[in-house]
Amino acid sequence: MCKRREAVHTGVSVEEEKRRVSFALFLLTACLLFAGVASAGIGDLSVEAQACLSCHARSGTRVTFQSNEFIEVYVDPDAFKASVHHALLCSQCHPDFAEGQHPRRLFRSKLQYQIKAALVCTRCHSNEQITTKGIHAALLSEARKGTAMICTNCHGSHSIRRVTETLKFTSEEEYCMKCHGHVMQVTFRNGETLSATVNISVLQTSVHSKLSCSDCHYGFSSEEHPKRNFGTMRDYTLALSEICRRCHFDKYTKTLESIHYTMLSQGDMQAPVCIDCHGAHAISHIGRERALIARRCQKCHGDIYAVYAKSVHGSALFDENNQDVPVCTDCHTAHKIENPLSQSFQEQIPDMCGNCHANEAIVGKYGLSRAVLDSYLSDFHGITLKFYRMQKDKLNRPARPMAVCTDCHGTHNIMSTMEPNATINIKANLVKRCRKCHANASENFPDSWLSHYEPSITRTPLVFLVTLVFKIFIPFLVVGLVLQIMLHIWRFVANR
Amino acid sequence: MDEDTATREEWVRRFHPARIVEHWVHVLFFATLVCTGLSQRFYTLDVSQWFIIQLGGIDSVRIIHRFAGVLFSLAVITHISVAVVGIVYRKWQPTMVITKKDFTDAVHNIRYYLGLEIAPAEEGRYTYKQKFEYWAIFTGVLIMMATGFILWFPVTITKFLPGETIPAAEVLHANEALVVFLIISIWHIYNAIFSPEVFPLDTCIFTGCLSKERMLQEHSLEFTKQEEAPPDVTSMAE
Repeated sequence: MCKRREAVHTGVSVEEEKRRVSFALFLLTACLLFAGVASAGIGDLSVEAQACLSCHARSGTRVTFQSNEFIEVYVDPDAFKASVHHALLCSQCHPDFAEGQHPRRLFRSKLQYQIKAALVCTRCHSNEQITTKGIHAALLSEARKGTAMICTNCHGSHSIRRVTETLKFTSEEEYCMKCHGHVMQVTFRNGETLSATVNISVLQTSVHSKLSCSDCHYGFSSEEHPKRNFGTMRDYTLALSEICRRCHFDKYTKTLESIHYTMLSQGDMQAPVCIDCHGAHAISHIGRERALIARRCQKCHGDIYAVYAKSVHGSALFDENNQDVPVCTDCHTAHKIENPLSQSFQEQIPDMCGNCHANEAIVGKYGLSRAVLDSYLSDFHGITLKFYRMQKDKLNRPARPMAVCTDCHGTHNIMSTMEPNATINIKANLVKRCRKCHANASENFPDSWLSHYEPSITRTPLVFLVTLVFKIFIPFLVVGLVLQIMLHIWRFVANR
Repeated sequence: MDEDTATREEWVRRFHPARIVEHWVHVLFFATLVCTGLSQRFYTLDVSQWFIIQLGGIDSVRIIHRFAGVLFSLAVITHISVAVVGIVYRKWQPTMVITKKDFTDAVHNIRYYLGLEIAPAEEGRYTYKQKFEYWAIFTGVLIMMATGFILWFPVTITKFLPGETIPAAEVLHANEALVVFLIISIWHIYNAIFSPEVFPLDTCIFTGCLSKERMLQEHSLEFTKQEEAPPDVTSMAE
């Protein structure tokens, strides 16, 4: 901030200052007598101002406070002439001073002096008048809590102009934070209020630390601060979320296919938009802390979150801080969130589970079999699903849903299959699930699925033995037949 | 053999026209079942996937396979019924039944191939090769019918049998199919097409007739029998 030198004479402690005061009083009288001969630079000002400036236009004069801080009591005549207050008399703003009257005052510090000096402004500019601007209202409310409002900090003193002309900023943030660093709020038509205060340190640690305010808040600048009129806070949030797509267009197009966007376009204004999940100024790299992703979804999907938190995945995440387990976005994706009840989503489920469960590097750590995906995909349901997906673009897609991982294992409530009661629970679950498609399925029916196990003599002897017999018999058969044929040809050739 | 008989070969009637039609029916359904079945079994191959998509998807292929299976089963049941009725009521000779002679013929022929016998075994109406092939395919088809039925109605079957029956039936069906396919594609096709004695094609099952020359070579005992007593055409069941 650029401080204009105060031309006010205050309490002085130095001998030289005393001498200067006497000299100034003498000159004041002299100037009144010889007004016309005053220097050309101050010619357009009032007689009183010219008299004051005869001393205060000279640089080098200082006033020192008890705290040893000091200010220079210099007034730039040209700046004063250009200011909105150039027609005023000095004594109108410095009421303690007048012709032949130059009291000596004592201030503890520069701040105390500035507070006292700023009070003068309120003589003309009432609180009611200035509160029409949000920043003044904010500052006044701060002042009521004890933080003094110093008009001259923003507006300057003798060179008073619009704030934007007075202050010099090195960056846009600095400019905006001049006001938005203070406690302030926006009020919507329905009476809702939203804090317009920005915590600059939060912004600077966000992923957008290198952006300027107007990169997002386009339309706003040091010249323009359009007044906008939103009915509700939600309207405002929805409008502001449109900003993100200017840079993140790829993510935006993905959201257009999402169930959230569908809900929004159908009139559900509570459907989440960018800001609802990512926040505004505090946007951080998502995914660093995976539990946070789940918590974001929890805001709306609390019931599902509670179920997930108890599952084998959720409990590992929250209790053990295990970063291998899936969070919401691993299955539902972050932006292209599909309707999970749609058939196309269902058909992708084996891939979702397979991402980890067919990856030795992940499941190997927990003693889980990597073969679960293949054993599913090579079974009746898996093969059918594979073809349904292949047929999707080429033929009329069958509307029949196929059993996938979640049908037996559950979705958000997935439990470990290694738990003591797991086998019993899964089997009970299986019969129920089988009957959804295979009406009247008996208790035996689920056993027709080998539960991801390779056939073995102990677990499924019948399947194992049949497979084994053919493994031996087929090569034996082929070799036998080919041998017979070769002998036959050989005999035929030999006979000729 | 003089020139005259060599050009105007004499033919012996071997099969009733009904057998010729039956063979065509079997060819048709068997081919359908092989194509729709093997493409399901080897579903990872590109050609299988192409075939399945061409037929209208996996569900269509399964339906075609099942109905071809039903029709083939009906043909097989008809075949068995004809044989049973023929043998029991019309006193046909059960010439297809495997006897001890077939095993000795097999050993004899292998010895002949290896040069240990001067001449091949003398055979009746059906050679030991034809009999073994017939019964291998026949039992294979019965297994396919039974397991195919189990796989078609798993819910009903598991009401009476343990759940493991289904995957067991599945591996049995898939493997037995391969066995039947291999026997047909290696053994039957060799004997009917590529064998030097019949190449380029053994037309016997399509015309119902066999040359006297081949009859004498391959079915000498049957030929001698026919020379003694004129053949009853209707008795040629198999």
